[in-house]
Amino acid sequence: MSLDKLLTRVFFIFSLSTLSLSAVHAASALKIENAWSPEAPPVAKVLAGYMKISNLSNKDIKIKAVKSELFERIEIHITQMKNGMMKMVKQENLNIKAKGHIVLEPGGLHMMLIEKLKPVKAGSVIPLTLSFDNGETVDIHLKVKSSDEPQMKCGSKCGSKCGSN
Amino acid sequence: MQSDTQPKKKNSTSQIILLISVGILSLVVGLWLSQQMLSNNNDSSIPPNLDATVLPNARTLVDFNLSDKNEEIFSPVQLKGQWSFLFFGFTHCPDVCPTALKVMQSVWKTLPTKMGDAGHPKLYFISVDPDRDKPEILKQYVEFFHPEFNGVTGTLDEIDKLTNQIGILYGYDEKEGSNDQEYTVNHSAQIILIDPKGRMRAVISPPHDTKMISSNFQTIRTFYGD
Repeated sequence: MSLDKLLTRVFFIFSLSTLSLSAVHAASALKIENAWSPEAPPVAKVLAGYMKISNLSNKDIKIKAVKSELFERIEIHITQMKNGMMKMVKQENLNIKAKGHIVLEPGGLHMMLIEKLKPVKAGSVIPLTLSFDNGETVDIHLKVKSSDEPQMKCGSKCGSKCGSN
Repeated sequence: MQSDTQPKKKNSTSQIILLISVGILSLVVGLWLSQQMLSNNNDSSIPPNLDATVLPNARTLVDFNLSDKNEEIFSPVQLKGQWSFLFFGFTHCPDVCPTALKVMQSVWKTLPTKMGDAGHPKLYFISVDPDRDKPEILKQYVEFFHPEFNGVTGTLDEIDKLTNQIGILYGYDEKEGSNDQEYTVNHSAQIILIDPKGRMRAVISPPHDTKMISSNFQTIRTFYGD
């Protein structure tokens, strides 16, 4: 067997084991996908985190807290249009309905990562720990991306949708 | 001799009449043509099929005195000579402002490198949070998105002089806890388009989209000219 093939096999086995690890994750009541953060100017003190969180269980689950070693604290906010202005409204104990999901995306719900403690660059990851009221904690990595062009999903054209959360 | 001069006189009279008629005709045609051209280029007509809100009568901006990222004066004078985009926000803004600047970064990539008489447009990110956004911070912030983007701020009085003229609103949420550096700023997220005469020409409302902004801008620019 050539070295190339051997390496391919090793890589394949490694990928399989990674897959099985994520399968363990999926066995929990929560599934978190497409977690990312747009690369921000180095001088920015706050960053945003976006992701899809699905509740696979038959009971509503609330997000209790989000933490990261790279930030002083993390809050969940929603961007709303109010009185002609964009306003951020803090979301405490955000609920994810049974068998439902929430999407955090530019211009809508988002995690606000406050007071960056270390530089964060595109290509790196931000470790996050989410705690839920069903007792679960989930560790994820936000991929810091520079190339993606975020498009605002919300704003004046969907004011009521934003407001209804 | 007289019989010779008589027909000549007649000739010159009819020539004069002809000249006058040609003169009157060209004057009438000229007036009509200029009227036609003016009505096409008239301030009170607007290009059709745009997402942006175009002001039928461009609004001249007056009397504000702010500073840009290099601590140089930013006043109505700096808005003359090229098209300018104004966006209002603050650097502690995690969602709306970086998203809008990222969209404008993409818009910049879609613009032709060679542009008309007024050259390339300018983008000014105007911070309504002067307590935290000093020029050196604004410089680093905007240049992350594009080296040519400029950042502007100043005293609240001077910011108000500008925002009041163009209908931009902003306000602060009550500061939480003991740290008075922690507060959020609510602000209008419209992008304001200024023409090369320094007049407010259009308002682009969120959600911001690269293709929409780029094509609307180029339509407006072609319609009104530099």
